[in-house]
Amino acid sequence: MSARILIVDDNPTNLKLASDVLRSEGFAVETAQDAEQAQRLLLQQLPDLILMDIALPGMDGLALTRRLKSESRFSHVPIVALTASAMRGDEERALAAGCAGYITKPIDTRAFGRLIGRFLAAGGS
Amino acid sequence: MDVPEDVGTVEAELARRLLWDTPDAVVAVTAEGTVVLWNAAAEALFGYTRAEALGRRLAELTAVPEHRGEARAPGTAASEPAEPIFETVRRRKDGSLVHVNVSQRAIRGAGGGPLVLSTIKDVTPLKVLRDAKLLEAQFRNLLESTPDAIIMVNVTGRIVLVNSQAETVFGYPRTQLVGKPVEMLLPERFRAAHNAHRGSFFSQPRTRTMGAGLDLYGLRSNGEEFPVEISLSPLVTEEGTMVMSAVRDVSERLKAEQKFRALLESAPDAMVIVGRDGRIAVINSQTEKLFGYQRAELLGRPVEVLVPERFRGNHAAHRGGFFAQPRARAMGAGLELFGLRRDGTEFPVEISLSPLETEEGLFVSSAIRDATARKRYEQGLQEANRLKSVFLANMSHELRTPLNAVIGFSEFLIDEKAGPLNAKQKEYLGDVLNSGRHLLQLINDVLDLSKIEAGKMEVRAERFPIRRAVDEVCTAIAQTAAAKGIAIRRDIGEAPGEVTLDRQKFIQVLYNLISNAVKFSNDGGEVWVTAMQRDGALRVSVRDRGIGIRSEDLEKLFVEFQQLDSSAARRFEGTGLGLALTRKLVEVQGGGIAVESERGQGSTFTVSLPLQAAARGAAPEPST
Ligand SMILES: [Mg+2]
Repeated sequence: MSARILIVDDNPTNLKLASDVLRSEGFAVETAQDAEQAQRLLLQQLPDLILMDIALPGMDGLALTRRLKSESRFSHVPIVALTASAMRGDEERALAAGCAGYITKPIDTRAFGRLIGRFLAAGGS
Repeated sequence: MDVPEDVGTVEAELARRLLWDTPDAVVAVTAEGTVVLWNAAAEALFGYTRAEALGRRLAELTAVPEHRGEARAPGTAASEPAEPIFETVRRRKDGSLVHVNVSQRAIRGAGGGPLVLSTIKDVTPLKVLRDAKLLEAQFRNLLESTPDAIIMVNVTGRIVLVNSQAETVFGYPRTQLVGKPVEMLLPERFRAAHNAHRGSFFSQPRTRTMGAGLDLYGLRSNGEEFPVEISLSPLVTEEGTMVMSAVRDVSERLKAEQKFRALLESAPDAMVIVGRDGRIAVINSQTEKLFGYQRAELLGRPVEVLVPERFRGNHAAHRGGFFAQPRARAMGAGLELFGLRRDGTEFPVEISLSPLETEEGLFVSSAIRDATARKRYEQGLQEANRLKSVFLANMSHELRTPLNAVIGFSEFLIDEKAGPLNAKQKEYLGDVLNSGRHLLQLINDVLDLSKIEAGKMEVRAERFPIRRAVDEVCTAIAQTAAAKGIAIRRDIGEAPGEVTLDRQKFIQVLYNLISNAVKFSNDGGEVWVTAMQRDGALRVSVRDRGIGIRSEDLEKLFVEFQQLDSSAARRFEGTGLGLALTRKLVEVQGGGIAVESERGQGSTFTVSLPLQAAARGAAPEPST
């Protein structure tokens, strides 16, 4: 069974890009445009990995990550930041919030699937 | 023999004449010292007329008040003078003193009472000659060897000896000085007071500075006045007490002092000069303004009055440290320093200290600058810098968001993930992709440059092998080079095995230079990469046989957005920032970059880097 990925991103175009690339690589993808929607989906079914945009309206990606990491039923799900915030310190902040990894936009569509596969392997071990 | 009866009268008349006309002063006093006889010579010698003198006590008229103990008052031992002939000093009506030779005799007066008859000779000039002879013999050599003008004066105020420095300073030959009242060397207006001061000096002779704290002047033979400093010392000789004055012409020093003061006043900073004892010796008017004190309120006070209470304890110890190792330096380098105004308010200061050698010893001169404006400016700058960082971070984020879609979807399409494309579609999508990537590079370069310009570029020096770094870059470019049939040749045999540099920046520099070389080479060409150690530095050259650069364009090469405006150059992509960034990445590690090129013959870029770069810290800042 293919791995299930939840992508959280408020920008619909970028959401579409990430989903389509991952789907083409054989992943099962669900999407959310904000923290609220993401939390609703998480209550229905737990994904194998969450790709988390950081700049979100309302609760931002880092706050959502911290919340999920603090709850035992979600804390084991690896979260990887996927963000256009690429200044020094951004990665450190993401890792400090509990992210397992940090991918900057623009993404490399040719390496994206492999990269996610590696995070899944690391998170699943 | 009969004596004519008028003979007695004639004799009396003759005696009276003789007494009146004799060149010596003749004075008779009663046992109580009252003058009963006063001839014309006495009038001339002492300045009192007969009418003024008769009936007065002689001591009142001629005794030198300061010398009563030393010289006998006339007439006190009237009946039996112990020493009938003696020499002493007497005072004239005008206060000046004379040396006199006195011969005394007791006689019986007409009324039968005892009288003392004195014959008094003025021996002042003789005395000067004697004094001079004595002093000459004893002191001449000594006096000539001192730098000051020396003038010796006896108790009558007559100059008895001068050295040649005195002749030079005052402009008289000594023959014109010896025997003259010393007041001739003073400006008219000081002479009367000087007479009185001289008397008091002889009454309490001790070494001291004349008129301490007063402005004293000498008078040269040409009428010119000049500032002097005088020190006086008594000299007890067998001819009596004399005074030796050492006179120093301080015109030059005063001029130098005035120059120094003018210099202090012209300084933009408050200048405070402090002695070893920590007391303020000199300030300029900027100090008055800055601290709100009047000059008189500060001079002589401990400098700590200008320092806030909480810093005073350490201040004295630091001053000791400065005097132990006096050299110019910034005070409390790296510390926040504060000054204290008269009204109790504090303000930030910058202080630089320098030692000041003077005749009176070592002083410390401190230049104090109000740092309020600088602090405010720096805070403004910091805020501006923070806003700039925020702006750059936002800009980077906002540009990357759409670029993600542009680059991502064109890549996805070119890879035919959304279905097959024809050749034209593929070509155009390739153009979109390249443009997107170009834009991304531009953003990254701008961020890098802004970091360097803000001085935020961090240097993380680490030890790494050169060979592996060169290999890594060549591998990354290999595919692009191969596509153009370009061979990259390496010669790193003379390179040091390892260097301590910022590895990531080194790689970035090398990558920029080699990919430029590949870009500007013709298909099938060659690019040489050479690394060697020369003069204790690492030198890396990248040479191509490409289109080259016109000599007039060489200067613009390393300047931002100065892509060379030639049709050939425009064929190739570049952000116009690459070489500017490369140069800065080299410079931030303490290196330099140079280029040699000839149009049509290719270019050689040479980077020199230290084998060990100094690490440079930076606060967390925008990074790409
Ligand atoms: Mg977003």
